[in-house]
Amino acid sequence: MEENKDLLNWLNREISEEELMHIKKNENFKTLERIAHYSSQIAVPKIDVAEALQDLNRKKKQTVKKGKIRFFNTQQLYKYAAAIVVLFASTYYLTLNPESHFKTEFSQIKTFKLPDSSVVTLNANSEISYTKKEWEGPRDIFLKGEAYFRVQKGGKFTVHTALGEVSVLGTQFNIKERKDFFEVKTYEGLVSVQYKDLFIKLPQGAVFRVVNGTIDRNTTFDVGKKSWRQRESSFKSTPLRFVLEEIENQFGCTVETQDVNLNTLYSGGFSHGDLNIALKSITIPLQLTYRIIGNKITLYNYDR
Amino acid sequence: MTDKSLCTERFFNDFYTTHIQAASNFAYYKSGDKNTSLDLAQEGFIKVWENCTKIDILKAKSYLFTVINNLFLNKVKHQKVVFAYAKSSPYLDVDNQNPEYLLEEEEFKEKLKKAIEGLTEGERVVFLMHRIDGKKYREIATTLAISQKAVEKRMSAALKKLRIKIAGI
Repeated sequence: MEENKDLLNWLNREISEEELMHIKKNENFKTLERIAHYSSQIAVPKIDVAEALQDLNRKKKQTVKKGKIRFFNTQQLYKYAAAIVVLFASTYYLTLNPESHFKTEFSQIKTFKLPDSSVVTLNANSEISYTKKEWEGPRDIFLKGEAYFRVQKGGKFTVHTALGEVSVLGTQFNIKERKDFFEVKTYEGLVSVQYKDLFIKLPQGAVFRVVNGTIDRNTTFDVGKKSWRQRESSFKSTPLRFVLEEIENQFGCTVETQDVNLNTLYSGGFSHGDLNIALKSITIPLQLTYRIIGNKITLYNYDR
Repeated sequence: MTDKSLCTERFFNDFYTTHIQAASNFAYYKSGDKNTSLDLAQEGFIKVWENCTKIDILKAKSYLFTVINNLFLNKVKHQKVVFAYAKSSPYLDVDNQNPEYLLEEEEFKEKLKKAIEGLTEGERVVFLMHRIDGKKYREIATTLAISQKAVEKRMSAALKKLRIKIAGI
């Protein structure tokens, strides 16, 4: 062990004369000396440092491209970009271009003011929407269902429906747009109605009605008469199917019929308070009867 | 401290120039393959460059050698280790021109080469770093991030094996 240490020190050239004398006596010293001498003559690949460094710098550029620096930057960038996009998008939709949307469910009536303080009363199962942004100039409203408008004087006020457009300057009117049914009633002033290519000026008390594509413009109505806004629906020579549809909207039920002609014209009305009274006021004049099972109403002929 | 960072081009180049030969040698001692040793060393330096912010300058050298070692373990398939002597290598007794002596020395060199190729990786690296790079045990220890005691142990084991192998054959 001692000898080993001495040998190592000798190889490391950290040895005293005395120790050197000691290990020279070792029988293996001659071999060790040769090992030490010849082992250091083993050739290693000589590096051309300048050339190798150039090569490394080329490789460095390649790795830096996909390396951490760019990685760090893009990560941050994407983060900020995403945040800014979200911020702008939400401000835009929340403040600059808000689409106001109102909707009523079955048997629900809502009244609210528009930005120009015109008043809209929305009948059951209807919805309107408008964009605040374009409110300063022409006023545009999109309607689905039935609504009563009391329009303040101002720019052109247009109600768009799937079936036609109604535009006024300042007046009171009612629009009803249901499946295959489009009706405009003027309560005050003059209303201009566009239905397909047809333009009509509708004076106070006049009714414009399209049923299944057939235009009826000779009907009138009593302006002072109660309407759905007083929670009463009134009809004049209206096919029964639309009356029953109104029942469905107001009471949130489904109506079925058995052997009943749905095109029978009905004049009259019903109150929104009591389903039984409402059904009676429809069925008795038409000589029908009904039964209620759960949420389902079946109308059938009295005689049979 | 900032101008001495490994991330600055100039300092890194200095670091590179100082250590590239030793790093390449180290890879060569490990693999005994002169074709891949420089590539391994280069890759080691690229790793140092990529991680320049994380590396303590004082430990950069041992980091470099550790990386090269890992790259070697991951990438290089263990092949037969082959060494060669430098072309102009003087014999121990330069004045002795006796043909018998010369032949004897050539035989010895051949045996020694085989014996070195037969050492374990750890022993060979320590032994050759000492003999060829002329490094002291202390230096080898810090470079390889092992204790000096371990270096000396490997050195002794290497010497013993070489001696026995040469004497025995």
